[in-house]
Amino acid sequence: MRVTESMRLANHQRYLNEIAGKLDDTQRQLASGRKIERASDDPTAAAVALHYRRDIAYEAQMRRNIESGIAFMNVTEAALEGATETLQRIRELTVQASNDTLSPAERQTIAREVDQLIRHLAQIANTQFGDAYIFSGTATDTPAYSITGDPPTAITYQGDSGLRVRQISREAQVPVNLVGSQVFGTTFDDLIALRDALASGALGPAIEPSLSAIDASLDRVLSARAELGARINRFEAALQQSETTDLNLQQLRSDVEDVDLAQAIVRLSSEEVALQAALGAIGRASSLTLLDYLR
Amino acid sequence: MGLAIGLDTAVKALRAHQLAVDVAAHNIANAHSPGFSRQRVLLRPIGLDGSDHWTRDAFLGRPGYGVDASDVRRVRDLFLDFQLRQTAGSREQYAALAKALRTAELAFDDPSDLGLSSVLASFWNAWHDVVNTPESNAARTALVHSGETLAARIRRAWNDLDALRKDLNQQLVLAAQDINAKAEEIARLNFQIKQVELNGDSANDLRDRRDLLLDELAAIAQISYAEQGDSTVVVYLGNHELVVGTDVRTVQAVPDMSNPGMTKLVFAADGEVVATASGKLRGLLDARDQALPDLMTKLDTLANALRTEINALHQSGFGLDGSTGLDFFAGTGAQDIAVNTALLSDPRKVAASATCAAGDSAIALQIANLQRTAVASLGNVSFDDYYGSLVTVLGADTARAEGLAESSDRLVSHLDAMRQSVAGVNIDEEVTNLVASQRAYEAAARVITAIDEMLDVLINRTGVTGR
Repeated sequence: MRVTESMRLANHQRYLNEIAGKLDDTQRQLASGRKIERASDDPTAAAVALHYRRDIAYEAQMRRNIESGIAFMNVTEAALEGATETLQRIRELTVQASNDTLSPAERQTIAREVDQLIRHLAQIANTQFGDAYIFSGTATDTPAYSITGDPPTAITYQGDSGLRVRQISREAQVPVNLVGSQVFGTTFDDLIALRDALASGALGPAIEPSLSAIDASLDRVLSARAELGARINRFEAALQQSETTDLNLQQLRSDVEDVDLAQAIVRLSSEEVALQAALGAIGRASSLTLLDYLR
Repeated sequence: MGLAIGLDTAVKALRAHQLAVDVAAHNIANAHSPGFSRQRVLLRPIGLDGSDHWTRDAFLGRPGYGVDASDVRRVRDLFLDFQLRQTAGSREQYAALAKALRTAELAFDDPSDLGLSSVLASFWNAWHDVVNTPESNAARTALVHSGETLAARIRRAWNDLDALRKDLNQQLVLAAQDINAKAEEIARLNFQIKQVELNGDSANDLRDRRDLLLDELAAIAQISYAEQGDSTVVVYLGNHELVVGTDVRTVQAVPDMSNPGMTKLVFAADGEVVATASGKLRGLLDARDQALPDLMTKLDTLANALRTEINALHQSGFGLDGSTGLDFFAGTGAQDIAVNTALLSDPRKVAASATCAAGDSAIALQIANLQRTAVASLGNVSFDDYYGSLVTVLGADTARAEGLAESSDRLVSHLDAMRQSVAGVNIDEEVTNLVASQRAYEAAARVITAIDEMLDVLINRTGVTGR
């Protein structure tokens, strides 16, 4: 092929452009740390990367859902622990009161303590988490129990039986709340009856039935705690699962999107060598002409 | 054969080699001029009457009567020109399309942490947060703002694409002006070349200029051309005459009634639409009238599906203040999608609850789960998948156009190298020619000296008997 000046010039320009373009690509990748900056850089990889990114964001939200659910349930658990202690204290007092040797004054004292404990239990039943009354079902803007009279003559459930359901994994929608009316049942009515009986000086046999009512209340609270414990375990398992999934997804996303630094640096230096070689060749080629050899 | 004829032969040689030196100088001077074709002196042995020596005298065993060097020709391969122009047309077509598509990709900015996909993901996540704490005003406020961020992002993408379309339209108008300017110059050159070549000369440099203009025109639009007997070229744009002799059929940008806000290119004389299958013009038209409207339609489909699917659920729910029947998104498409202003000013109106209870978030949960639901109006894929395929199809189209532009570019480079190999100037070669012509000139001068001496012998030293 006949080689001409403009051809040589065009070739040099093209080689230099090509090498400089590759060098620029590698430098940009090294600076950004990313292989794909636009979908057109690698459409297939971009499709996969978008998929991973979406799943990563979704899993992160699932963990948010789980963690705030666990927080909600931990508050519920603490409330139920308080309710258990309160009921146990009331049970002790009731056992004492069923002893006929107690004086009327002592019974009054017990009645007053039971009254205080009832109020405390009502407070527990009206526990809030954030803005929500946790035992009100979904009617979380109203206290679970309304208290009538002082001393209370009636403590009435005013929530609903709704469940607060949330997504904790792709497949699972799980409630986090326990409905107050199911946890406490007739507890408050039973306890008010007990207090009134104690205040009126009733003797052992009249108080006995209350004892079994208290045991039933304790049973309800304990089974609620067992249910709650199982749910918390489930949430924690889902959390772990999501964390594992996240690690895998991050790895996969990075494989698709991120630059392999070692590889990129090796490529950069080989491209620099190529550029130097091309510049050297051009410099030498253009300095050679016939004119150098003519007189 | 007389000695005077020998002198004449030598003078012809002097003239011829002087011309050769001039041509070499011209070639060297233009070694880097774009479009320049090297020129060669056509040297031809001639007979006594100036006719071609090969035809007669040589047969008769007579020597010729010197050299004729009246003609200087361009060295050029017309077939390479033709191939190069075709390839350059498709290079410019795909380069223009690729450039537009790359810009369109920026409207979506994906995959990245700041792309529309991550804004969309944040939006669905904000619904989950409302599911978790439906009574919290903070979660609701975050949700309506996330919704507005998403809506603004969709609007911005739409507006970016719209602005890009208008920009392409502007480029189209400029391309029309460019075509006219080049066509007019070709017509002028047609006139000049015709004049020069009528006298039997070769209008080499004018032809180079005309060829360069044809190269440039072929990059803008699909052209065909043919040289006529009178040395003019006829140029067709599509199937319509653009230059005939010294006449130009100018192209005009006029409003396109069937494509609101856009212009179409027509021939001013007869209103016929400019049709082109390649060139920058084709790329601009493909991007403006197909690729971008297609993307904008997809964006509209996405925005409309978001609005209708979410609104249908949202209307059935209740806000914290008991409000119901409200839309979450307002608007008519990607251009104007926005969060209902009633919700923006009072996030308690977000209808998360199915029952009016403050702690119920069944509706919010259903909306959050729309993320992974196949939607009929999106062709039974989820929002995420629909958007994902929008981005990857755009990416694939861009990569395809870039690939085609690049491969045409390689072919153009290759063909151009071949053309330069034929038509370009090689300095060493020219210097060699220069030296050869210089030597030939010296030798011709020496011939004159020799004949002079012979004449001297004849005139001054013969016939002197008796002096």
